[in-house]
Amino acid sequence: MATDVSNELDRTDDLGPLGGAVEPRRLLLGLVGLAGFVGLWWIGSTLQPAYILPSPLAVAETVQSEIASGAMQTALLDSVVHWLPGTVVGTTLGIATGVALGWSRILEETLTPVVRILRPVPPLALIGFAIAWFGIGHAGAAFIIAIGAFWINFYAAYGGVEGVSDDLLDVARSLGVKRQTGLIRKVVLPASLPEIMTGVRTGIGRCWMLVVAAEIFGAPGIGRQIFRSANSLQVDRVIAYILVLSVMFLLVDTAFRLLQRRVLVWR
Amino acid sequence: MAVDADADSVTVEDVSMVYDGSNGPVEALRGVSFDVDPGEFVTIVGPSGCGKTTLFRIIAGLQTPTEGAVRLDGDPIDGPGPELGIVFQEYHLFPWRTVADNVGFGLEQTALSTDQRRERVQELLELVGLAGFADSYPKDLSGGMKQRVALARSLAPDPDLLLMDEPFGAVDAQTQTLLQAELLDIWEATGKTVLFVTHDIEEAVKLGDRVVVMDREPGRVQEIIDIELERPRSRSDRAFGSYYEEILDRIG
Repeated sequence: MATDVSNELDRTDDLGPLGGAVEPRRLLLGLVGLAGFVGLWWIGSTLQPAYILPSPLAVAETVQSEIASGAMQTALLDSVVHWLPGTVVGTTLGIATGVALGWSRILEETLTPVVRILRPVPPLALIGFAIAWFGIGHAGAAFIIAIGAFWINFYAAYGGVEGVSDDLLDVARSLGVKRQTGLIRKVVLPASLPEIMTGVRTGIGRCWMLVVAAEIFGAPGIGRQIFRSANSLQVDRVIAYILVLSVMFLLVDTAFRLLQRRVLVWR
Repeated sequence: MAVDADADSVTVEDVSMVYDGSNGPVEALRGVSFDVDPGEFVTIVGPSGCGKTTLFRIIAGLQTPTEGAVRLDGDPIDGPGPELGIVFQEYHLFPWRTVADNVGFGLEQTALSTDQRRERVQELLELVGLAGFADSYPKDLSGGMKQRVALARSLAPDPDLLLMDEPFGAVDAQTQTLLQAELLDIWEATGKTVLFVTHDIEEAVKLGDRVVVMDREPGRVQEIIDIELERPRSRSDRAFGSYYEEILDRIG
């Protein structure tokens, strides 16, 4: 009775060990673009004094000496000390709140006006609160970063949960999952995982960009190095630390994308 | 034909469903009543708008009628559950789960051990002809295969009633014929009570012991026709043709 269905099966693409994150042509073209960018920069630097645009070479030397003196590592570590907890707390709270409001009609109706009022407040406007509540330092910076992570993850999770098809929930109920906790755990969360992961990824990037601003009133880290260097017109140092910021973002974002591909293999 | 000892009878008692429409109340169903014997295969056919999907959802426990009730072996249905196996037209597989995990979903709520669950899933996959696809994801399957998974999934908790809402409407004609034959095989092997909703008159006559013919505005039962033909049934058969015409008359 079993009919032969093997010829109906679609073949998936073989994505290779890096999950398709790096394709040869893309890599090559990307490197060409980068080379062009550095080339233009170098040409520009020969036409300007060092305090307006230092050459790529000068910046490379600065990066080297910062690493040698340990200043780069210290700054990086300092930034991570408030970036990591801030991102984790903001992301977790954002997802939890988003799921709660996406699932519970009562919660959504009660809290939407509050959300509407709080949402437009930019994280930096809360620096006053940050200093008053947490003091100048890591805790205050983490607070700002958490706010940044919160909203992105809230909306991603909310949208994801809202978008879960009622039919899927009906199917689950008819297969014996009656309680809300069961439905959330077995249907809602897995179904909204793609949106939630996109939110986490966007939030991570946003938080990195927020790190510099969050350090503006005194938390140590890459941001402080940038401000100090800017104040003393050490433009090569400014660029060096900006580069570190970019590289760190790239590393974290790429790692997360690979994770995303593995977890969402079913898409 | 084996009759499942647990197969249930279904009693639809005077079911009505009235909605609040934008222009006043809409009577989706009025006074629908019929019985289904244990192990019987009953098809429900009607024009679009006759409320057959509403009726399906009410019997499945996903909707409460404004009046009347549906009984499964005498007990009123008050919500969905594993004793009411349902299969939708759009499959509604869980895309993040493999075929095996989809089929095993309903078993995770039971007291079976992991090994027992795996065995039962394997049994069901073999029943629907998908034994080699346990680790595939729904995105890799064709429509016909997805529907087989949906069927296996709803059969897993051994329901007393199998409810299907136009399950073969989204596949091509060839696959439809194949799946119809497989469904009849599974029905004869398991002896379950089956209620099958369709808009396709030929399908209704081909599959059902009896056909509930519905009318629209308001949705109600026009007539219930006994199909006294041996299976497998051929549409080129004269008797088949006259049943078809009779129903077409009432619906068209």
